[in-house]
Amino acid sequence: MTDEAGVLLRVSIFGFVIGIVYWFLTYEWLGTVCLLTLGAGPGVAGLILIQEQRARGGAGEPRAEALRRLAGIPPQDPPGPKDLAAEDLGVLPLPTIWPLAASLGVAVLFTGLIYGLWLVILGLGLLAYATWGWLAAVNRENRYGRIQADTEAPSPQSGPVSDPDPHPSAAGQPES
Amino acid sequence: MPSRRAPATRWLVVTATVLAAAGCTPQSVTEQGQAIYNLYNLFMYIAAVVFVVVSGLVIWSVVRYRRRDDELPTQTHGNNKLELTWTVIPTVIVLFLFVVTIQAQDKVLDSSGDADVNVTVTAFQWSYRFTYEGTGAEVLGSPGTIPEMVVPVGQRVRVKLLSADVVHTFYVPQTLFKRQAIPGTVNEFDLTFEKEGLYHGQCTQFCGLQHTDMTFRVRVVNQGQYQTWLAETTRRGSAGQPGT
Amino acid sequence: MATTELPLPALPEAHHEEPGGIVDYLTTVDHKKIGILYILTAFAIFLVGGLLALVVRWELASPGLQAMGENTYNQVFTMHGTLMIFLFAAQVTTGLGNYLVPLQIGAADVAFPRANAMSYWLYLFGSLIVFSSFFVAGGPAAVAWTAYAPLSTDQYFQGTGMDLWIIGLAVVGVAGILGAVNLVTTIFRMRMPGMTMFRMPLFTWGVLVNQLLILFAFPALTVVFALLFLERNFGAQFFNPEAGGQPILFQHIFWFFGHPEVYIIILPIFGIISEVIPVFSRKPLFGYRAMVFAFFGIAALSFGVWAHHMFATGLVYLPYFAIMSLLIAVPTGIKVFNWIGTMWRGAITLSTAMLMSLGFILVFLIGGITGIFLASPPIDFAVNDTYYVVAHFHYIMVGGLLYGMFAGFYFWFPKFTGRLLSERLGKLHFWLFLVGFNITFFFQFLVGLDGMPRRIADYQIERWASANLISTVGAFLTGVSVLVFIWNFLVSIRRGQPAGDDPWGGNSLEWVTSSPPPSHNFHHLPEIHSERPAFDYHHSPAFAAGTDPERNPDRG
Repeated sequence: MTDEAGVLLRVSIFGFVIGIVYWFLTYEWLGTVCLLTLGAGPGVAGLILIQEQRARGGAGEPRAEALRRLAGIPPQDPPGPKDLAAEDLGVLPLPTIWPLAASLGVAVLFTGLIYGLWLVILGLGLLAYATWGWLAAVNRENRYGRIQADTEAPSPQSGPVSDPDPHPSAAGQPES
Repeated sequence: MPSRRAPATRWLVVTATVLAAAGCTPQSVTEQGQAIYNLYNLFMYIAAVVFVVVSGLVIWSVVRYRRRDDELPTQTHGNNKLELTWTVIPTVIVLFLFVVTIQAQDKVLDSSGDADVNVTVTAFQWSYRFTYEGTGAEVLGSPGTIPEMVVPVGQRVRVKLLSADVVHTFYVPQTLFKRQAIPGTVNEFDLTFEKEGLYHGQCTQFCGLQHTDMTFRVRVVNQGQYQTWLAETTRRGSAGQPGT
Repeated sequence: MATTELPLPALPEAHHEEPGGIVDYLTTVDHKKIGILYILTAFAIFLVGGLLALVVRWELASPGLQAMGENTYNQVFTMHGTLMIFLFAAQVTTGLGNYLVPLQIGAADVAFPRANAMSYWLYLFGSLIVFSSFFVAGGPAAVAWTAYAPLSTDQYFQGTGMDLWIIGLAVVGVAGILGAVNLVTTIFRMRMPGMTMFRMPLFTWGVLVNQLLILFAFPALTVVFALLFLERNFGAQFFNPEAGGQPILFQHIFWFFGHPEVYIIILPIFGIISEVIPVFSRKPLFGYRAMVFAFFGIAALSFGVWAHHMFATGLVYLPYFAIMSLLIAVPTGIKVFNWIGTMWRGAITLSTAMLMSLGFILVFLIGGITGIFLASPPIDFAVNDTYYVVAHFHYIMVGGLLYGMFAGFYFWFPKFTGRLLSERLGKLHFWLFLVGFNITFFFQFLVGLDGMPRRIADYQIERWASANLISTVGAFLTGVSVLVFIWNFLVSIRRGQPAGDDPWGGNSLEWVTSSPPPSHNFHHLPEIHSERPAFDYHHSPAFAAGTDPERNPDRG
């Protein structure tokens, strides 16, 4: 079990224990439901993480290890990175207007709840358009990448374009 | 190491703080509120000690452990024994505070005795109505007036608290007690006034435009005066008490 | 981690970062720029909220309604609380977290950069919706930031302003939840190799716990707002007792969110203090693991105490909430003792950031101790809904939050801008703030103990007048201290002393990279062997001898 799953499961156990104690002390429905939901939510998430780790393969962790993690005792240190250049520092998305547009759509949609269906539809429309643009951008960047090498033809892009560096240099060059 | 003068100064500060605070807590005029007064003072004493000790440690470290050179101090990472100590001791203090809290709470909320006077208080925007059950007496306030709830000294007054519209509160500062008036709910509590006098009361749960003006008074009188007032008010019918 | 079918290209050379223009900021997905946007927006809202506070204090300085009618006053204090709690407090720390967390864990950005941008824009648009309530007929909401039903239902409070309040805050709530998903995923998934959970800096831990709290508490707020909106506009009767509804339902759901909310606000501040004190004591944080567990203890307990805001209702089980509320003192105390342990036998430098942290501890002590009083139901019966409570939470929210926030600003401003804030102006700011703040709020304890209720536009009891006048003077002094800070900011951003990578001798990873960092955060990442990677890196023999191949001679 990973540290993260451990955190989530600890929150979950707390929620369940407190929720049950609270029920038998007060017989008050609302607080009990809230606390048990607090238990259920991260519990499900934690179990999903564990499931995913199993599916990724790797030897199962011995039970003692897993219990130590649950108690918060950290495992042995993993080895540090030896070759930074080979480490994936992430492929970052290009700047894009779609998050702003989508947020505007949500805001207009919510405001429409006050002023009328017409505004809700306007907001939904804007949101739908922004979602389309957003997904198109994601698709495009997955195909053509964010950082392009010299030899590749620039990919067709609409909307604001940040200048991808045409001269990737070897790692280790100091920043100007 | 703290200087020898420091402990004496510390006790002086603690005592001064406690006295200052005690001077600021109103003495309760009810029997039930007395428990709150005593509880508050106990909490205050412990709080003053905690504050002086902890802030003393902070100020001391800043004074004593200033950087003088480039040498790194010993890179201590922690101390499990200390962690345990300063987890256990506060927990013990907190559990003690809980126990004394419950003891006081039981005294404050004790309504096992028979009520001598039953008053139904109906809070509304923005005043109160006091209805004396079993008689015909009623006092009706209105926004901008200050209705008076007249009660006899030394007798257990059972208040039934209602709301006609939004959430209000019945609060008399000198009783050290308040309770919310929630529409659809009946809240009951007892007040046994031990001192005659005129006590200010106010709504503390924000209830709209004239929340600021929603005040009342409790007039505690002796038994004779109370009976006279009751008879007069019953005879007059539910007239509004002229406010000042 | 991002998935891609392409083999990863080599890193480009980072070109010199031009300061971003408008279009740059409108389209950015860079967590650093988004963090700056959050901080600037939140700070602007803080200034408006602060002005509203000064209006409140102006009115209360003496008995009698001098400056405005009751309705206006009710609007002013409602919006003061709304702006400060919903639109400033949680977002300024989210902004700092947005900027710093990826740097502190060695990532190039957050897990979902575009969604990160969306969170910010949702926050901005939601805030604008709330602000628009000032301009509609009837004006803004006037039901207090807690907006209890039935007062806030359409039966008792009409007007579009209230609905805009609900909608705007609901949008901001969505922003918060989206941001929380982002930051939690980032912290769980994007730590660089060697950066185990128990080597993360305390600020990142604070942000992690704070975002987990947001994830589990904000939905309750969204629910209660939805219920209120339905009741106001679609004829629902959730809170109407005559139709079978329950007014107390509002209080329960609201406070199930509301109490974790105050911990949402303060936990990243604990993280900031836990970063600043070790650096300026030249010692590691005392009791790192205990501090992490204390974070979780506080967060866990914070979900179990909500009804201590409802002790006066007579409808909640008092002992349970009393013990849970009292117990929060234990993990909080652990934190304070560990901060002292960090300073003990250290080598302390009283920079402005450190002074702010010390101020934090002292005022938070008062705020926290008075919280213990409030945790006891009998005492709460006496002082709830009076100025005692107002003073208590302002000691935490103004004292705790602002001291911590300013400590973070003085500490990290060099990293964000490459320049140092003036220490001289900083110290002036600190002392003015210390004096002004305590004068404003200390006397409110006394007047609250004497029975002065909160949320009143006026009072007729003469003996409350002097305390209120003193408090108003203090408030204006506090305002002056904020002006000093703004002046410091404006002056230093242009002419501040250049800071270099690591002006303070920092411990966490952000001090390894340049100030400001390049767009992808790091050119080189050192190995991680402890919770103080920058300290280890700058104190390693290879670094000192200049034989460390990762050491950049240009950066010194």
